[in-house]
Amino acid sequence: MAEHSSDLIVETYKLTKIYQNRQIALNDVTLRLEPGCVLGLLGANGAGKTTLLRLIIGLHRPSAGWVKVFGKRMTANSADLRRRIGYIPTNPQFPRGMTPITYLDYMARLFGLPSEVRKPRLASLIRAVDLLSQAGQNIVGFSNGMTARLAVATSLINEPDLLIWDEPTHGLDPEARRSMLDLIKNLSREKTLILSSHNLSDIDEVCNHAAVLSRGQLIYCGSLQDLKGRMRRNHYELDLDGEQKAITKLVQALKGMGDFKSVVLRQRRLELHLTDEAVIASALAAACQQIAENKVTLVCMRSVGQQTEQAYLDLVEKEESRGFARIYHADAA
Amino acid sequence: MEASPSNPPVRIHRWLPYWAVFQADLMQTLRSWVYRTWVLMSLVAALGYLLYRVGAYREAGIVQPASDLISDLLRWTIVGSITLIIVLTVSCISSERGSMADSILSRGISRYQYFLGKWHARLTAVLGGFLLMGCLWLAASYFLLHEDLSLDGAAVALGTVAALLATVVSWGVAVSAISNSSLLGVAFLWICLYGASSLLSLLPPRFASPERMLHSLPWVLRGSYDLASHGRVLLWAVLASCLAAGVGMWYFSRRDV
Repeated sequence: MAEHSSDLIVETYKLTKIYQNRQIALNDVTLRLEPGCVLGLLGANGAGKTTLLRLIIGLHRPSAGWVKVFGKRMTANSADLRRRIGYIPTNPQFPRGMTPITYLDYMARLFGLPSEVRKPRLASLIRAVDLLSQAGQNIVGFSNGMTARLAVATSLINEPDLLIWDEPTHGLDPEARRSMLDLIKNLSREKTLILSSHNLSDIDEVCNHAAVLSRGQLIYCGSLQDLKGRMRRNHYELDLDGEQKAITKLVQALKGMGDFKSVVLRQRRLELHLTDEAVIASALAAACQQIAENKVTLVCMRSVGQQTEQAYLDLVEKEESRGFARIYHADAA
Repeated sequence: MEASPSNPPVRIHRWLPYWAVFQADLMQTLRSWVYRTWVLMSLVAALGYLLYRVGAYREAGIVQPASDLISDLLRWTIVGSITLIIVLTVSCISSERGSMADSILSRGISRYQYFLGKWHARLTAVLGGFLLMGCLWLAASYFLLHEDLSLDGAAVALGTVAALLATVVSWGVAVSAISNSSLLGVAFLWICLYGASSLLSLLPPRFASPERMLHSLPWVLRGSYDLASHGRVLLWAVLASCLAAGVGMWYFSRRDV
């Protein structure tokens, strides 16, 4: 943890946003983001992810609470702070009649970059995002993939310390999505990132921290490992190979063991649910012993309960089930 | 091989974002159909009116003072095309909300610079267009009609009308920064301007209201004017414009985009 508040990249305190006294978009959000963090922002539609990002970048004004970026309060006029941030909105839109070159030049001038810096930089970025052949074309006719690549180049034109990308893989084909994730992994080595995404496997792949929003409230903020660790690891899947008779015999043997709450065979996939009292290592060792004794081949074994998606769903479900107890913070409850 | 020297820190030009917005908005305004309609309409109307006057002067021999033609055209610019100018200015910020504003305001620019860039671009486009057209009308009427214009009077007349236009443009941009809807902003500003104009016309005769200024244009163009009174109008117009900019900037820097 950062010792001083000024060491933090982003810090919010009791951040609340109420739109025109009609809609509570964000409620009492306090989070701290340290240098080098890759934070995945998770939440359903309308959970407040985009509102939080817009508050961090100063596009929205908090109804209560505050946001500090690089140790200073973010306001609508904090141009100095925004010069160190690269932002991609959910659906980036571009002014009409511009080409990638003119648009990137315009964006670089908005960061105050002098000509001798911005011209070489924009040329390198256009080459890097593979838009060289479309550099002179009007942006209006661009596909989703090209638009996303241009948005990436725009967010990197000022060589920012903090990247805030709102659903960067939204609408991309698998190849473009893979390129985007690889780019994020590379950038995460030297920059701090905040990524918002509906795609939990993307978050799982590239992030080391997660924040979960539910109906405007932050219900989890911490490392991704901790989030996964909240799941009970009592659900395992085993892919088997061998004679059907031997597998059936194995299932009967496992059902007779006290460590397993349920043993279900679906074709050649065995699902094991451990009891709460079972010691995981010894129960699984016993299961492996039975597999060997019955001359069945174990193709692979995995824990289902450690997937980020299940952890997220479990967290949201738990939050919903708390009812009026939500008045109290999760830690206190 | 020697290692390449480390990059020196980039020197940021603090007013470059303002210039970027100014230039982009000026180009956008000059390309907009509203601006082109205003210029085309003004030029066609002026040409038609000038040909009518020239015909009456050359064919029927009726004396047609250039000052009458110019004062009519200047009055029409204010009264006739005010709605187009309002539409042109009120849409400048309010039409760029949402994702488009995200692309610009999320960069290294303050709201003040953004507002100033937009305001100055619209002022340049409208006043530049008006002054160019005004000079064109003056030159045409000077050569084609009965010449009764004085150079300093023409400058004062153009300056007076430009000051009134600048006030309208400034309040238009301010309303644009305040309102969410361009249509609502246009209606609101239109009502306010006509209401203010009516109220000012009720002032005692010693006060120079916009309406009285416009009616005195033929005499001003002939060189008969009170410089102090026109100076006061100019001063009030500048103050009103600065007030509009102040209100617009203050509100815009405190609102969500």
